[in-house]
Amino acid sequence: MNSRFYLGLARDNIKKNARLFTPFILMNIGIVSLFFIMHTISRNPGLSTMSGGDSLKIILGFGNAVIGIFSTIFIFYTNSFLMKRRKKEMGLYNILGMEKKHLAVMLFIETFMISVLSIAIGVLIGSVFSKLMYMVLLKLLGFTGTFSFVIPMASILMTFFLFGCIFMAAASYNTWHIHLSRPIELIRGGNVGEREPKTKWLMTLVGVISLGAGYGIAVTVSNPLQAITMFFVAVILVMIGTYALFTAGSIALLKFLRSRKSFYYQSSHFISVSGMIYRMKQNAVGLANICILSTAVLVTLSTTVSLYLGLEESLDNQYPLDVVMYSHDNTSDPSSDIAGYVASVADEVGVKTMDAFGFSSVSTLAKRYSNGYEPISDGNFNDSNTLIIFVPVADLNQVIDSPIALAVDEVALFNTSGNLDLKTLTLGDQTFDVVREVETFGNFNQVDNPMFKELYVFVKDMAAIEEVYKTFTNEEFRGFDYQYMFDLEVPSPEFEKAIRSGLVNEPHITYMGSKAGMRENFFSTYGGFLFLGVFLGTLFMLATVMIIYYKQISEGFDDQSRFDIMQKVGLSKREIKRSIKSQIVMVFFLPLITAMIHIAFAFPVITKLLALFSFTNTALFILCTAVTLLVFAIIYFAVYNMTARAYYKIVNS
Amino acid sequence: MSLLVVNNLKKIYTTRFGGNQVMALSNVTFSVEEGEYVAIMGESGSGKTTLLNILASLDKPTSGEVLLNGQSFNQIKESGLSAFRRQHLGFVFQDFNLLDNFSIRDNIFLPLVLAGKHYEAMNEKLMPIAKKLEIMDILDKFPYEVSGGQKQRAAVARALITDPKIVLADEPTGALDSKATDHLLHLFSKINNEGQTILMVTHSTRAASHAKRILFIKDGEVYHQLYRGGMSQDTLHQKISETLSVLTSEGGSHE
Repeated sequence: MNSRFYLGLARDNIKKNARLFTPFILMNIGIVSLFFIMHTISRNPGLSTMSGGDSLKIILGFGNAVIGIFSTIFIFYTNSFLMKRRKKEMGLYNILGMEKKHLAVMLFIETFMISVLSIAIGVLIGSVFSKLMYMVLLKLLGFTGTFSFVIPMASILMTFFLFGCIFMAAASYNTWHIHLSRPIELIRGGNVGEREPKTKWLMTLVGVISLGAGYGIAVTVSNPLQAITMFFVAVILVMIGTYALFTAGSIALLKFLRSRKSFYYQSSHFISVSGMIYRMKQNAVGLANICILSTAVLVTLSTTVSLYLGLEESLDNQYPLDVVMYSHDNTSDPSSDIAGYVASVADEVGVKTMDAFGFSSVSTLAKRYSNGYEPISDGNFNDSNTLIIFVPVADLNQVIDSPIALAVDEVALFNTSGNLDLKTLTLGDQTFDVVREVETFGNFNQVDNPMFKELYVFVKDMAAIEEVYKTFTNEEFRGFDYQYMFDLEVPSPEFEKAIRSGLVNEPHITYMGSKAGMRENFFSTYGGFLFLGVFLGTLFMLATVMIIYYKQISEGFDDQSRFDIMQKVGLSKREIKRSIKSQIVMVFFLPLITAMIHIAFAFPVITKLLALFSFTNTALFILCTAVTLLVFAIIYFAVYNMTARAYYKIVNS
Repeated sequence: MSLLVVNNLKKIYTTRFGGNQVMALSNVTFSVEEGEYVAIMGESGSGKTTLLNILASLDKPTSGEVLLNGQSFNQIKESGLSAFRRQHLGFVFQDFNLLDNFSIRDNIFLPLVLAGKHYEAMNEKLMPIAKKLEIMDILDKFPYEVSGGQKQRAAVARALITDPKIVLADEPTGALDSKATDHLLHLFSKINNEGQTILMVTHSTRAASHAKRILFIKDGEVYHQLYRGGMSQDTLHQKISETLSVLTSEGGSHE
């Protein structure tokens, strides 16, 4: 047999199986171009010169790796599906006299043709779109100005290399698969009598427990720092739970339904219950995959979009004014030097500062009980603890209209999450009369941050604070912090640069943060996240579409004969269609519904994670999630409808 | 009045693009009395399967009519056909046509469940039939767990459970070994002796020799028929073989 023969054979096979291969090739092209675009952008020299470019590079590099990994998984998954469907064809060739090694050569050539086609077109499309995507990214980053864009040779090479490897590995898998099977098995293909699945109680139990635990963690986690690690634990648990319940739980439930005779032996339940047992056995893993991917798409998109859209608000939460500086001094009043330093630098650069506001404070963590607080020594920030900040009342008086005078046993309060409405405040053993509660303190307003509770306690003077603090915490007093913030009349990067570089000579100034600097940082991080989120969302979406399509097709082939039998036994076409439709709808909307339930349970923990990014606008997050869900559901439904047509075509033929 | 009357059935298939026409049945007329056991024989392509499909109301004739108990198939609406099939006809197929995902019991129940019967009532009906067909011990097994003969007996049980007017069997022994074939044919005779009307399409001489009357179809027409009368099975077998050889040797004379 010569090579021209193989080439022709491979080409004919691909043409003949267009229904199977076309979506596969389209998916490959999509994946390749996504990878290529991501790679060209992350390797673009322009990134290094951009401020915040380093964190962006890390995010994009991470994106590259994720896309690479998922590409491999998706290509393998689809490829193995194709092989399963083509068993009969292989068996026929085998029986007609082609040896397994000939089949192997044929399969390799097929894969080679598909891979060259996919990679070449993918890179081509990627090249066309990568510049556009790069501009979109720059726009997302809030970057204006021009940047040159080149397509690095390394990206082309890398794409060809990576996907070449993936496809060759897939081809090797196919060959190995053929090698293991006997022709008669191949000829029978998928038609070996499907066995009734066993009820796996243990796995069902594992599923219920892990899903419950995952949900439990997601709902109850209170500590934002813990939320990060616990979130991943919850994700893993929910994934295990999803797989276990889809595979074992569904069958256990259906078998239970079957055992209830009065329910089972009704014409509407009879066919669907037993049909579903069969369907779930074959499709559980695929459906669980769809479910997990859908959830991933939804979480990624809704959070990244929320973060990006809520960027200014998060910024305001963190920086009420343009610049904030801290100093610490354990011997004297630290307020004196910081304002002077700012003024001198401002003079030097020639900018004007305004709305300056500063206050001294000392803080400690405490736990709330009825109308007082108890000190805690080793607590973390979480929603059951409160940070108590003692401030001399003089610092409050500089920003309110009617000054307050306090006695030693009197306090004024500012609680960030809303008024406490207390007559007296008990701190450990000490009780104070609450003279007044204020709703703002300088530029701090009351916001509903679910994670950080802060209570400002205004006390007579610094000496009194020292006493109160020592009695309350039973710890040595280590001096006051001073926080100083101000706005700039016009934004001035030179000023910020100057003030930052001068800090080396001001040892007591411990920290300086600027809104402008932070904004750039936020933009490059959140913009990068959003970009990545959209990319991964697209990738996962592609995979979901592909899995749905192939599931429909295989369902169609399996149902063809059953459809026939039922008709002969006395079921009308309409009844059959209705029963099949209800099963198909159940099968395909189960993952979407489950994904939505996952999202609902993930909501509390994601809100807490977002709070870590100073994102507290829950309403915006709900809106973003709802919109993402809606868009996703519409696409999902459209894909379902399109593929359902392919299904009915097969069944009716 | 005859139970089943077939009048001047004609069926012409037109190929997909309206090109060639194929005459599957040219003019078939016969009738079946209640309690009869009729075998229809003919070579491949003689129109047997087309005839059976029309009798099963799965296909419509180009002209002519079929009457069951005096009711013409042509008068039944499309929407009522499935229910009609379910209530009056029982089917046995060559390849059993059991559904993989149902146990044997549920496969047999299928037509009754569709008719909205209760479990207890169905079970009551099943028991005597299952006993008669010797499938009591496999009721809770699945089709892939039992032998071909057992599958075919389960299919017979499914056909009988609705008390059909007539059982239509399409090559019922075609996929069975000789032992299972004998067993099944024996059961068919037994059921027929209890009053069940059976119409069987086959090209197995052995299967046909169990029937009380044999119709031979050739080129879409009833060509000849044989009555068992007082003949022994071996004699009938002999007669059938002779008729068949005449049938084949005369090939083409009816063009």
